Amino acid sequence: MASRYDRAITVFSPDGHLFQVEYAQEAVKKGSTAVGIRGTNIVVLGVEKKSVAKLQDERTVRKICALDDHVCMAFAGLTADARVVINKARVECQSHKLTVEDPVTVEYITRFIATLKQKYTQSNGRRPFGISALIVGFDDDGIPRLYQTDPSGTYHAWKANAIGRSAKTVREFLEKNYTEDAIANDNEAIKLAIRALLEVVQSGGKNIELAIIRRNQPLKMFSAKEIELQVNEIEKEKEEAEKKKSKKTT
Amino acid sequence: MAATFFGEVVRTPCRAGTEEEEEEEEGNRETPEDREVRRQLARKREVRLFRRQTKTTLEVSLLEKHPCSKFIIAIGNNAVAFLSSFVMNSGAWEEVGCAKLWNEWCRTTDTAHLSPTEAFCVFYHLKSNPSVMLCQCSCYVAEDQQYQWLEKVFGSCPRKNMQVTILTCRHVTDYKTSESTSSLHTPFLKALKTQNFKEPPFCSLLEQPNIVHDLPAAVLSYCQVWRIPAVLYLCYTDVMKLDLITIEAFKPVLSSKSLKCLVKNIPQSTEILKKLMTTNEIQSNIYT
Repeated sequence: MASRYDRAITVFSPDGHLFQVEYAQEAVKKGSTAVGIRGTNIVVLGVEKKSVAKLQDERTVRKICALDDHVCMAFAGLTADARVVINKARVECQSHKLTVEDPVTVEYITRFIATLKQKYTQSNGRRPFGISALIVGFDDDGIPRLYQTDPSGTYHAWKANAIGRSAKTVREFLEKNYTEDAIANDNEAIKLAIRALLEVVQSGGKNIELAIIRRNQPLKMFSAKEIELQVNEIEKEKEEAEKKKSKKTT
Repeated sequence: MAATFFGEVVRTPCRAGTEEEEEEEEGNRETPEDREVRRQLARKREVRLFRRQTKTTLEVSLLEKHPCSKFIIAIGNNAVAFLSSFVMNSGAWEEVGCAKLWNEWCRTTDTAHLSPTEAFCVFYHLKSNPSVMLCQCSCYVAEDQQYQWLEKVFGSCPRKNMQVTILTCRHVTDYKTSESTSSLHTPFLKALKTQNFKEPPFCSLLEQPNIVHDLPAAVLSYCQVWRIPAVLYLCYTDVMKLDLITIEAFKPVLSSKSLKCLVKNIPQSTEILKKLMTTNEIQSNIYT
């Protein structure tokens, strides 16, 4: 049945599906995992780094991009589609700043991206964007925000979420471990993001990239060394917890 | 007879079917060129089984020449990588045959000189116990070639006292369910077995409509017809390229009777798998 209703995106199937949009969501799952966490005073974006070819410049393979000084996003899915969306969003951020003399709110730019994505699900001859995005930042009121968009053009605010490959596993981990204590301070929120990624990233810290935004501070990308330190701390804590558990049982 | 809009007269098909047979035959008669083309195509698509060391074709079927009690078949790159890392690293395996075939899915046009890495369907037996056979099949076997493959491997009268285990992967969108695929916890393992397979499988059975495709389906059907105990472990995944998490989803199968005695060193196997992954990582930049 699907084959008759999935050729053109403007066609609904008899049971109400837009197959091209659903297929675009499959394309998102082909991208590596990205996780976003909203802390009390910090927002964290963690991604599984894509393996880079020997002769490729690592700096040109980025999953986390700044949209403005106070907003950044991570995506999963088609690289080229992400580039187009990010460029349009960056232009919109500056255009907004010049027009109304205020930086965009995180919700505004998320809605802009979601509206753009929705347009491509309702135009003839065009296919939907094959990316999901996690958009984080602080508004002028100092409140941290995390939004997620998907190829259908919907967007929602989240406390923590994951997109891309194995997103379901990471989301389940977050549901179990996202507590008020876990995000009590900045360091704990960062550790939670790394622990969530380590659930699905096989080769450990060297394949993780992390970015944070603190209130009234610009985007900070963690260096490989800093991530390694955090991973070591997490592993120590895990060992100690296991020792305690085995002591209790004996 | 009927007239079309343009005034041409066309013969309406007669439901009796027997009238005007001669005229139909004329249209369908095969010319010698057609026959030659068909013959050449059949020759090109022939499945050939041979020994790489001696470059000789096998005259009898593989299992007639090397009878076995356990036959483990891995179809697809993830299943092949799983067997390579977890089973083949423990013990010495000797290559006993290789299946060479060509179809439209092959990337090469030169069918006379297919290299071993392209015609990847190799058969091994364990040196210390030659009744254990293993097949690593990374190439796609088309529908018209599956019967030939089965004949050349199993023969026309296979032994019934052997157990066949097949491992393969499919994309999760092939899994028939009323739930949305985004709510499924991929990768996951499902089993499908023949009537004579009495052991309990190591995962839940594939629910109705339990449809499988391609070579795994052909092997399973063959085993069902010949009453050979066989089980297919099918891993549904959302990543069809070589993927660590998909490969590790096959791990429960290591506790099966067929594989338990063949697996020796799991931590070492995990290391071998990681090395295999890093050397095989396809540097595609389409998805990030």
